[in-house]
Amino acid sequence: MVTVKKVQRRNLQTQSYIPSLLKGLGFTFSKMIKNLFNQDKMPTLNYPEEKYDYSPRFKGNHVLTVKKDGALRCTACMLCATNCPADCINIVASEHTDPAVEKFPIHYEIDVLRCVYCGFCEEACPVDAIRMGPEWQTAGVNGSVFNYDIKELAHRPGLKGGAVSRVDDLERHKAGI
Amino acid sequence: MFKCTINGHEVEVPEGASVIEAFKLLKEDIAHYCWHPGLSIAGVCRLCMVQIDDGPRLHIACNTLVKDGMKITNQTEVVKEAVRWGMDFHLINHPLDCPICDQAGECGLQEQYMKYGQYDSSMAEKKVKKRKVVDLGERVVLDSERCILCSRCVRFTDEVTKTNELGIFNRGDHSEIGTFEDQPLDNKYSLNTVDICPVGALTSKDFRFQQRVWYLKDTDSICTGCSTGCSIKVYHNKEGLFRVKPVFNEKVNGHWMCDEGRDLYKHVNAPVRLKQILKSVGNEWFPLGLERALDHLNEAFSKAENISVLITAQHTVEEYKALKNWAQQLQDKTINFVYWKNNPESFDSFDGLLIRGDKNPNTKGLLEAGFEFADASVLDSSDLVLAPMPENPAVYPKYMEKLEQLSKLQTQLCLLSVSNITQHETINFADGTLAIPMKTAFEKAGHFINHQGLTQKIHKGRVIVKAALGLDELLQAIKIGKWIQPQLLKSRKTNESSKVSGELW
Ligand code: SF4
Ligand code: SF4
Ligand code: SF4
Ligand code: SF4
Ligand code: FES
Repeated sequence: MVTVKKVQRRNLQTQSYIPSLLKGLGFTFSKMIKNLFNQDKMPTLNYPEEKYDYSPRFKGNHVLTVKKDGALRCTACMLCATNCPADCINIVASEHTDPAVEKFPIHYEIDVLRCVYCGFCEEACPVDAIRMGPEWQTAGVNGSVFNYDIKELAHRPGLKGGAVSRVDDLERHKAGI
Repeated sequence: MFKCTINGHEVEVPEGASVIEAFKLLKEDIAHYCWHPGLSIAGVCRLCMVQIDDGPRLHIACNTLVKDGMKITNQTEVVKEAVRWGMDFHLINHPLDCPICDQAGECGLQEQYMKYGQYDSSMAEKKVKKRKVVDLGERVVLDSERCILCSRCVRFTDEVTKTNELGIFNRGDHSEIGTFEDQPLDNKYSLNTVDICPVGALTSKDFRFQQRVWYLKDTDSICTGCSTGCSIKVYHNKEGLFRVKPVFNEKVNGHWMCDEGRDLYKHVNAPVRLKQILKSVGNEWFPLGLERALDHLNEAFSKAENISVLITAQHTVEEYKALKNWAQQLQDKTINFVYWKNNPESFDSFDGLLIRGDKNPNTKGLLEAGFEFADASVLDSSDLVLAPMPENPAVYPKYMEKLEQLSKLQTQLCLLSVSNITQHETINFADGTLAIPMKTAFEKAGHFINHQGLTQKIHKGRVIVKAALGLDELLQAIKIGKWIQPQLLKSRKTNESSKVSGELW
């Protein structure tokens, strides 16, 4: 047996959305008019012409820091690569001609498309050699540019000569550590 | 036999056993650096502290003999406190080198530190700086800051190699390991000092900075460097093989192995390998699919009147058996087996420790396989020579000369080779010569019989060249005209390296 339910047509209850709708539209239009006459107080940005600067603590693009003499700080200990959950850091270590340095990376590459920007690499590094900076724009046109190498990570123009590591071997040596 | 109780567990040990040996027998944890089962007792690290029968003082387990009825424990607070302070002394001048130290991950100091460490240094003094990156000859690098002066390496060169190169120089916290006037540490067993060094003071030049040890897996195997057949572990990951270390085997090598054997992994890695079947036509090599290569071989075998097999003692017992069966099935042909001894002059030599002149792992296996060997002169009159080559042709110069001679006679060869033989500079191989990639001992399972007649098993580890065949697999493929990859071995005998590291030092 089929029961047919009678659909109630218009009544007060089904029509009651109209005041809310008008209220919403009123809000939008009042904001629009307010912004039109007060453009400098608008909170949105005209991206990409205008950009927002995040705080230095933001975990954006990686930076390999350098020593005071400009050489790469990284000692190629691979702790970042070991700690990386995305397995996207690739390091090849080598023996340095200066015995005081001993070990350094001849190849350091981060596949930023695999990176999940968790910051675990930064946490693992014992010598403040890798940091995550406030840069966050990773757009590109060619697949290969997403493998950031030493040149990109430590010496890209945006870093203006490179970030200097807080951990200095010479100072530690002098302090007798 | 004496009965004693260790941490509440009863154990029977032979008379004259030390307390630490009883701990090891029970697999009870005990901290120690200077004691090594293959060396004499030094008792210098003071870490193996135990309490015996509620006695007022602690004893060192390595230099105390078990007496009947002893009750021994290292679980009391007094013992733990003593170890903790012992550790603190070891760390007074220790550098913060773990990030660049090859030992990290299998370091005795790191392990004990995690268990007993004080975590915060109580030293107000500056650390004593010592020499770093000291070149100790061809294979070993010394970092004397990391050394904890356990004297294992010194005792090794005194007692095992009897070459006495290493010593402890100076006094107090200036004590330092070294060689007299920095002469090189060059004995044929020098890399064992790197293995037994509980810290990263001695590192191997060859392995230095190649890999972090926690990226490596290991497989048990047998060294193929000579007929002693030392038990080894091969360490590898997806980038290839990286190092070889000895495994304790009472009957064969004890705790040690020679330096030459450590290089064996090098001819296994991809850059030097033959990776596909190649056929020589007019002094050029052309790649060939396996099916076509088998057709070519079957045709060559049916045409040839006089077939020879130029065999060395580098293959497994199973492969020799397959070779024997194959020859028996080809009854209408004469197949001559020529046994190639590389260095007949020094073949029976022995250095008194491990190294033998017979540079093959399976000479006994070949001799026991029941071949009748023909004189090498039959090779010259053969139309076709099947040559399962030695794995590392560099150790077999005469074998290579013979191949060159045969090629000059325009003899067709069927080479089964690990190294990329087609790159050989002087040999112009005859037309129709086939080069087939061969498996190394680390890529196949089987048995070797060493000089004492002891049959030892090798395990299949990482496969580096997928197309490579074992001798037995090639013969079977020839027989049925095709090759079916066997099911991947279910249990690859690969251990997590972290599990064994404790045993290594
Ligand atoms: S941020 Fe996370 S995922 Fe990205 S490289 Fe560092 S550890 Fe790896
Ligand atoms: S960036 Fe830091 S953690 Fe990563 S390899 Fe270099 S030193 Fe080690
Ligand atoms: S010897 Fe051990 S504790 Fe010392 S630096 Fe090397 S890994 Fe670290
Ligand atoms: S170098 Fe290593 S084995 Fe030798 S005394 Fe020092 S810590 Fe011990
Ligand atoms: S192991 Fe006993 S004192 Fe070193």
